[in-house]
Amino acid sequence: MTEKVGVYICHCGSNIAGVVDVEEVAKWAGENLEGVAVSREYKFMCSSLGQELIEDDIKNEGLTRVVVAACSPHLHERTFRRACANAGLNPYLCHMASIREQVSWVVEDNEVATEKAKAMIAGAVNRVQLHEELEPSLVPVNPNTLVVGGGIAGIQASLELADAGYPVYLVEREPSIGGHMAQFDKTFPTLDCAACILTPKMSDVGAHPNINLLSYSEVEEVSGYVGNFSVRIKKKAKYVDEELCTGCGICIEKCPKKVIDDVFEAGMGYRKSIYRPFPQAVPNIPVIDTVSCTYFETGKCKACEIFCPTEAIDFEQQDSYLDIDVGNIILATGYDLFDCKTIPQYGYGRLANVFTSLEFERMCNASGPTEGKIVLRDGVTEPESVAIIHCVGSRDENYNRYCSAICCMSSLKFGHLVVEKTDAEVFSCYIDMRTNQKGYEEFYERLLEEGMNFVRGKVAEVTDAFRLPGEEGKLIVQVEDTLLGIQRRIPVDMVILMAALEPRADAREVGLQFGIACSMEGWFTERHPKLDPVATMTDGIFIAGAAQGPKDIPAVVAQGAAAAARVQGMITKGTVEIEPVVATITEEMCSGCRICNTLCPFNAIEYLEDKEVSYINTALCKGCGTCVAACPAQAISGAHYSNEQIFAEIEGLLYDVISGNGAKAPQVEQEPVPA
Amino acid sequence: MVKPSFSDEIANLLHASHGNPLITCIQCGTCSGTCPAVDYMDHTPRRIIGMIRANLKDEVLNSNTFWYCASCYHCTVRCPAQIDIAETMYALKRYSIWKRVHQEGLVGPTFSETFVKTILRSGRSFEPILATSYLFSAGVRELIQEGVTATKMMLKGRLPMLPPRIKRLDNFKRMVSRVIPLEAE
Repeated sequence: MTEKVGVYICHCGSNIAGVVDVEEVAKWAGENLEGVAVSREYKFMCSSLGQELIEDDIKNEGLTRVVVAACSPHLHERTFRRACANAGLNPYLCHMASIREQVSWVVEDNEVATEKAKAMIAGAVNRVQLHEELEPSLVPVNPNTLVVGGGIAGIQASLELADAGYPVYLVEREPSIGGHMAQFDKTFPTLDCAACILTPKMSDVGAHPNINLLSYSEVEEVSGYVGNFSVRIKKKAKYVDEELCTGCGICIEKCPKKVIDDVFEAGMGYRKSIYRPFPQAVPNIPVIDTVSCTYFETGKCKACEIFCPTEAIDFEQQDSYLDIDVGNIILATGYDLFDCKTIPQYGYGRLANVFTSLEFERMCNASGPTEGKIVLRDGVTEPESVAIIHCVGSRDENYNRYCSAICCMSSLKFGHLVVEKTDAEVFSCYIDMRTNQKGYEEFYERLLEEGMNFVRGKVAEVTDAFRLPGEEGKLIVQVEDTLLGIQRRIPVDMVILMAALEPRADAREVGLQFGIACSMEGWFTERHPKLDPVATMTDGIFIAGAAQGPKDIPAVVAQGAAAAARVQGMITKGTVEIEPVVATITEEMCSGCRICNTLCPFNAIEYLEDKEVSYINTALCKGCGTCVAACPAQAISGAHYSNEQIFAEIEGLLYDVISGNGAKAPQVEQEPVPA
Repeated sequence: MVKPSFSDEIANLLHASHGNPLITCIQCGTCSGTCPAVDYMDHTPRRIIGMIRANLKDEVLNSNTFWYCASCYHCTVRCPAQIDIAETMYALKRYSIWKRVHQEGLVGPTFSETFVKTILRSGRSFEPILATSYLFSAGVRELIQEGVTATKMMLKGRLPMLPPRIKRLDNFKRMVSRVIPLEAE
């Protein structure tokens, strides 16, 4: 071989050098590996001095290939490729060996680690000599953006983008935007009214010339790639003509059918069969719920149609589809509330005066079912005592392991509302009080001063089985006061369960539809948990809000804005580089069997009828290699992952077994397996 | 070799139990809140777990908590950390018997010891001997009261007159000796 390879081994401080004998590895590589012209080790290869080392060697020593043995390519591949490019070497002629994540962090024995590092470097040196020069292709970015979910995260993201002058399609499943925040009464810790701060933003969305609001709609199909997505949106039939409807509300008034509102009122109140979730709904257009509507049940009624002054009711309306092209997508699909019935010992659904947090939110809301009055299920009696139970379905291996992040603060808010509106005594049963944002601890102190009782202990059960004096007719909250070390039975009139936040029931399907991953629990996975919280592993798809994990309104808004900023960056740049690590088909070898066409997870392969061969759209190809492995004629080759390159790498990894390369792996004494 | 601490010893006893180790306890008190016998215990179950983790060996062994455990397993079912608390109570009972340290005046230790001895002798439990042997330690009045009940049951044929025995008792004893360190009788 004629390539001159430079090998650079990073100490990564003591991360690698603490385990791997880097001097020995560098010396060995220089002496034993074929093609290696330069072999060096350095404290931090990613520092500017480390990068200069590579650049200088390329210029002075005439290196034609570079191997950097350091951390995972996830972190610094771009850094070293750029260094090569700076010195005039094609960046794809640089390769990384991950001797931190795959060696020093996981191998305990220093000697074994050193040998493994050698093997990995031998593999990298072997394969890099077969690398080809690749050029990334540039594709334009469509300036339109799709935002999925019209909660506060989606609203914030849409407004940021629209205000910057870019067109936005905002898709919302429900008849109105607003999400969970629209259901709340007050927001912690400042206690400003949720509607007062949310509705101006909602009407901004409704009136914005750059926002195309698609309510009562769902994304049906997504295809394409970063900068150029095609999306099909299903607009569910509202049975109300959006052009003609003025939002006067007469139809709602006249509709004779009342049903329990399970969504917006959380089952606490009623709505009509033709309804908008709340008076400030955006868009202010009602929809007909065909399941309960008398006309759809019996074919008679049509009260709404008769009374509508603009003849906007259209019983013949069908679901319609809208095809749009967008450059980027922001997913802000929010959360579901944990089903409290899953925990039988808390009695929700069995004991009347056990409420969920969302039910209590609706109860406190001035426009809610009780007009803001805190009363028991009978609708009139004011409670004399209230218990708030934390961590219902959170921090519990039996349900959800994670902390739902918002419940401690909203329970303090609830405590305040009870104290403010009633004379009731409030007990908060918590495991740990988590008030760790700006102004939150102060709010906790305020509630201590307002006389809320805090009992440190997870509630064991809520029961109406009385046995002690004063318990009759009450709900008894049985809990250990862990700070006192005694079991307490607290008789109360009302119990509020602080239900956990859960991923949307269909989060996994949505993730699959958009090509992004979910965590074990079902939250969307970000590209990096700390440094890239709103991007995903799929370019052009961003996430914001509680769909990524439980979080409160300030954090959700920050994420919405962050996602919008990332999208603006993409649009302003105008073009996006497409990785050249893709598969290509050698037309002469392709038999046109079309096996690859159906296997491709990105729909990147099409069949050319005229030539009778398959063709790969490189802009869609992600270089996953599925087709390469499946092709019976071996007509498909994956750039950077050709058979030759992979076999060369394997031979390098096995240098000590294949022999001829000198060094031998040490004999490791294995612990005898206990009989 | 370093001598294992008290918390290590208890962890070892729980090694084969299906629950999570005691170090994962978040001290939430679900177990104590759930426990139907907690009023009789000098320390709540949660506190006992905390005391084990703090290596308070003497205090734990002199506590009556695990002897009052009724083995209803309600705590185990509800524990958010999925710790097998009832099994922990059993581990403490075994440990306490082996070390011959327990609070004075408890029925539990005598009962447990007699029960195991009865089983080892015949392979089956035999209430007339089991009950009398531990009731002696509880007092004469209880003994008479239980005697009356036992006679009634015996007359109705609900209590056997002679101790039942299993076949091949030697094999059984050898089997048990692999699990529990037996002393020569």
